[in-house]
Amino acid sequence: MVTYTRLVDDDRVFKALGDPTRRHLLDRLFERDGRTLTELESELEMTRFGVMKHLRLLEEAGLVVARRQGREKLHFLNPVPIRLIHDRWIDKFTEHRVAALADLKSELEESA
Amino acid sequence: MTTATAQTTQVYQIFIKATPEQIWEAITTPEFTARYFHGARIQVTADHYQSNGPNGETWGDGPVFEFDAPRRLVHQWRSLYDPDLVAEEPSRVTWEIADQDDGTCLLTVTHDRLEGALKTAASVAGPGWMGVLSSLKTLLETGEPLT
Repeated sequence: MVTYTRLVDDDRVFKALGDPTRRHLLDRLFERDGRTLTELESELEMTRFGVMKHLRLLEEAGLVVARRQGREKLHFLNPVPIRLIHDRWIDKFTEHRVAALADLKSELEESA
Repeated sequence: MTTATAQTTQVYQIFIKATPEQIWEAITTPEFTARYFHGARIQVTADHYQSNGPNGETWGDGPVFEFDAPRRLVHQWRSLYDPDLVAEEPSRVTWEIADQDDGTCLLTVTHDRLEGALKTAASVAGPGWMGVLSSLKTLLETGEPLT
């Protein structure tokens, strides 16, 4: 049942990424990791409960890891599941070409 | 791509289809680590962490703070493998292995106390630890390291 488990995991990752609020939360954590719910909530026009719900889906997909530190619960971005999806379709030989195109895109778009 | 400032606490999690004992062996014995950890031969005992490059050069050397096989390992990290990073202060790496009762384990790697080692923080971030962990997963699940 390896394949099945793996598909379920991938489904969760894609589902978690398929929402602009959740991608925004990941972007915030990418900029600075280890944030509390209160911090994350302050940057979103959304109720605390709504943000919690999104964070829970991200945690279930393994994209966010919550750790207790003293009295606070801190949220960390875990990029590993995205890396595994990357590894599945992009090997080290095609990686350079993909990276070159990605660089070209960001350069052209920044200068535009 | 936007670049983030180096994070001084980094957390990585990965599910691996293996027993806690297999994962423990894979992170503490040089024959294993050489196959997925940039070729580093890493020997971890209850009180010492030693990492050597393929030609015997010292890549890491420091105390082990916790050694609870096969669940929890905490050791010091110094980047002796890179002349630019050698002078930085030591940081800390924690490995936690949680058995999921379905034939898999959740492996959590936390690299923290990086406040005095910002260049190390930037170099191990993202592709650094991710590459090591995805390669470890591939090795344990297929017997072959990630090419």
